[in-house]
Amino acid sequence: MSRWRYFFKRLLLSVPVLFMVMTFIFILLRMGPVDPVAARLGPEASGAEAERMRERLGLNDPLWEQYLDFVTNFLTFDLGQSWVIYGDMEVTRIITFAGPPTLWLGFWAVLLPLFIGIPLGFYAGLNPNSGGDYLASVGGILWQAMPNFWLSIILLAVLRQTKGGGWFGFDWYTFGPDITGLSITGTPDLAFLSISSIDVAGAISIPLLTGVDWGALAVDIKLILPPAIVLGSASMAAELRIGRTAILETINSNYVETAKAKGLKDRAIVWKHVFRNALIPLVPVITNEAFLLMGGSVIVESIFNINGLGRIFFLATVQGDLPLAGALLFVFTLLIIFLNIFQDLLYTIIDPRVGYER
Amino acid sequence: MLAALGGTATVGLAGCSALLSDDEEDDDDSTGDYETSEHADKAQAAWERIIENPGPDAEDTRTQAYVEIEEAVRDDMVLLPTHHGKGEFFWYDYVDMPKVGALGRHHVQHNRTEVDGDTELNLINATFDELDPIMSTDTASGEVIAQIYETLTTYPAGVAEIENNLLDSFETSEDGLTWTLTLKDGVQFHDGRDLTADDVVYSFRRLAESEYSERVNFITESTGGLGIEHETDDEGGIVPDSLGIEVIDDLTLEVTLREPNPAALDVLSYDGFAIVPEGLVGDIEGYDGEVTHDEFRTEMANGTGPFEYDQFSPGESMRVVRNDNYHGTVASVESLHWEIIEEPEAKFTYSMEQNADFFEIPTNQYDPELIDAETDDRGRESGTYGPVENDETLNYLGVPELSTFYFGFNVSHVPKPVREAVAYVTNHEEFIEDVLLNRGFPAFSFTPPAMWPTGQDGYEGWVDEWPYSPNETDREGARSVLEDAGFTEDDPFEMEITVYETSPAFQDMAEQVREKLSGLGVNVTSQSTQFSTLIDRGEDGDLEMFSLGWIWSWPDVAYGHFGFEPKNTDTSKMPGEANGYYLDWQENLDEEA
Repeated sequence: MSRWRYFFKRLLLSVPVLFMVMTFIFILLRMGPVDPVAARLGPEASGAEAERMRERLGLNDPLWEQYLDFVTNFLTFDLGQSWVIYGDMEVTRIITFAGPPTLWLGFWAVLLPLFIGIPLGFYAGLNPNSGGDYLASVGGILWQAMPNFWLSIILLAVLRQTKGGGWFGFDWYTFGPDITGLSITGTPDLAFLSISSIDVAGAISIPLLTGVDWGALAVDIKLILPPAIVLGSASMAAELRIGRTAILETINSNYVETAKAKGLKDRAIVWKHVFRNALIPLVPVITNEAFLLMGGSVIVESIFNINGLGRIFFLATVQGDLPLAGALLFVFTLLIIFLNIFQDLLYTIIDPRVGYER
Repeated sequence: MLAALGGTATVGLAGCSALLSDDEEDDDDSTGDYETSEHADKAQAAWERIIENPGPDAEDTRTQAYVEIEEAVRDDMVLLPTHHGKGEFFWYDYVDMPKVGALGRHHVQHNRTEVDGDTELNLINATFDELDPIMSTDTASGEVIAQIYETLTTYPAGVAEIENNLLDSFETSEDGLTWTLTLKDGVQFHDGRDLTADDVVYSFRRLAESEYSERVNFITESTGGLGIEHETDDEGGIVPDSLGIEVIDDLTLEVTLREPNPAALDVLSYDGFAIVPEGLVGDIEGYDGEVTHDEFRTEMANGTGPFEYDQFSPGESMRVVRNDNYHGTVASVESLHWEIIEEPEAKFTYSMEQNADFFEIPTNQYDPELIDAETDDRGRESGTYGPVENDETLNYLGVPELSTFYFGFNVSHVPKPVREAVAYVTNHEEFIEDVLLNRGFPAFSFTPPAMWPTGQDGYEGWVDEWPYSPNETDREGARSVLEDAGFTEDDPFEMEITVYETSPAFQDMAEQVREKLSGLGVNVTSQSTQFSTLIDRGEDGDLEMFSLGWIWSWPDVAYGHFGFEPKNTDTSKMPGEANGYYLDWQENLDEEA
């Protein structure tokens, strides 16, 4: 089987997965123990009212009809409405305002492991058993041992107490861009890009980036750094340790010996041979981080009060807003399926052995 | 992600096992095994007397009946009140606002609030999703709606004494059925229109007829509502324009009730009765609407309140600005801003940064030792709290609220001696101190002391007579009732306590009950579920001992006692014909309904 046939086979396999997930969500919604109508109305409402709402929301139709509606709606990306958290609001609209903060957080949380974790791991691997190696490895283990929720709370407590001057006169609120009037919690504005549209021939309008407000960008980055550090920390530590092992294994392999014997310079060996091969075990780790980030964002967004998908998903599950939780679950599933495919694609590109012997 | 999924799955499983065990119990343990209750008839008779004697002259009859219901509840121990809520508020020195009363902060209009050195008052709110008064059922949206929209009558700052607001005066007919209401002259909506009787008719019709109304029963039902004259169609809906409400002139209207209702003016203070301009939304027959309901829900508002809609980002923040045309005291602050925060740590951070001026303090940061307060004649503790983390000393107010939290029993599943044993071992004071950190008041009756039918002295007498060893863990008392019923350590009664996840206090308390009853003949298992699951199982008659609470929207004893009418506790009729507490107390009525 060629690499690309392998890849397309994986692509096709995601279709039944998608259907299974949709069926699972449907069963959870319509036949699960949580009655969303009761959750929405609360205990003071009368039965007649619950019945009227049931009728309005289409819960009295035959089940197979509801299922068909449900699947076609989801496939056409009509994700339905929230019932409890944002009564009657379209889920797609919720995603348009809650998606960007989550992406912004995720973006910075991924940068951290990629540009700190992996380089540190490689450094530790290239200098095994040195003082720097010990420092990085022990630090990594400690980071990984600290749970996100705990780290978030500690970070909040430490940062908020620096207001007006903390230890050594360090004040996080005035350090760098000034956020004295703002809170270290809350949703970032993300309004640093000014976009205006140009009308072409009076019909089509094309959005055009006309400027960046660097001050606002700096503030947004500063606001997102504490939660991003928490969210990225566990992955950072994991990548540090796996990166170190991968480098060590590669360095001690035969082809590196051969290269050395041929008289290749160390620098060339490291950059041309070691890094590329050390990346292979890191690919699934990095894509798996994305899942962890999604799960972690539930906690971090809640504690830092970021109005993102994670926090809304948490509220939806806690308050029995099943349609919203189900729709977000579907979106997360789509993302995970996409990431899986992306991982296969990366494999196919980096590792020529993929798909040959099956 | 996985963790969250796991959570959902656990709930699913819990629900399933509940359904399974329900089936089992229905087979072998229906109701006949134990004498479950003796006083259901007394409660039923008392409730019927309340219904039959609604007039103002029959107040004594009703008072007596209310007490009889409390006695029946206590003597049958169908429900063990644990505590009454305590609202606690903290604010910085530079804020000056009216003292919040027992009905809660969502009644406080901020036109009398002053902020020294700032033009904006900053508050924290929970997630809410609607500004349409007829959809508002939560205090979070209620707090915002109270600034924008107004009702005919009101409880200023939540103090339980009703006052006219948009209402100028009223008259009632001899039979108490017809109320003639005269509106205040010269009241304007935010867009400049004058308030007229037609607006009131339209607003009341929306509450009764709109498909979005979530509290139709508050206008149509006589107990726990206004009980306005109306016609229903075959499906139980209200026939359009059939409400017993008639416009006399621009400022006068006549409301006809089905039965006399002593609490009518109180009911009218509920958010759902807030007045919006006629024809604003087209969700009832005869109106096309100026805006769509979707816009009306979150993107605009037009009321008579001291503040006008400015900006709303769902899940993030809400802002309203001063209405300079307000018919009452025009506000001194130019705007109010609510930051929407759910997580306690984030709330605390936001308040310690002085981004919020008026707030609550989460349990994990709370220290009762820091309070220095005195109690006023309404039982409110006011004084100072602190110094807190940022070295500020805060103003403090602790308010006994009109709410009751309790453990209920489904009497057909839990025999009376077991229920009594739970009451014997419960030490209210210890629970309030250890678990609630004094953030609550011990409860020995369902009706809070502030609205006890025979007054303060009557309430004190009631507490003195409470039979189940108040404020001590009386294991001997429990042992003796259990032994008399044949439950011993070797042959114990198995009972499950179900509490809801969002109340860690009840989880701790269930654990205490389990420990205190161990070895006495009751084997307790406790389980926590989602709130909605608990409600569902309650309606299925599938709970044994469970935790719940009741919060009064207006201070009327009947608006809590209707849930005790034994016939109304029949879970087999829920959630359709019955809407009482999940007790199944009708099982031992002499004549079956």
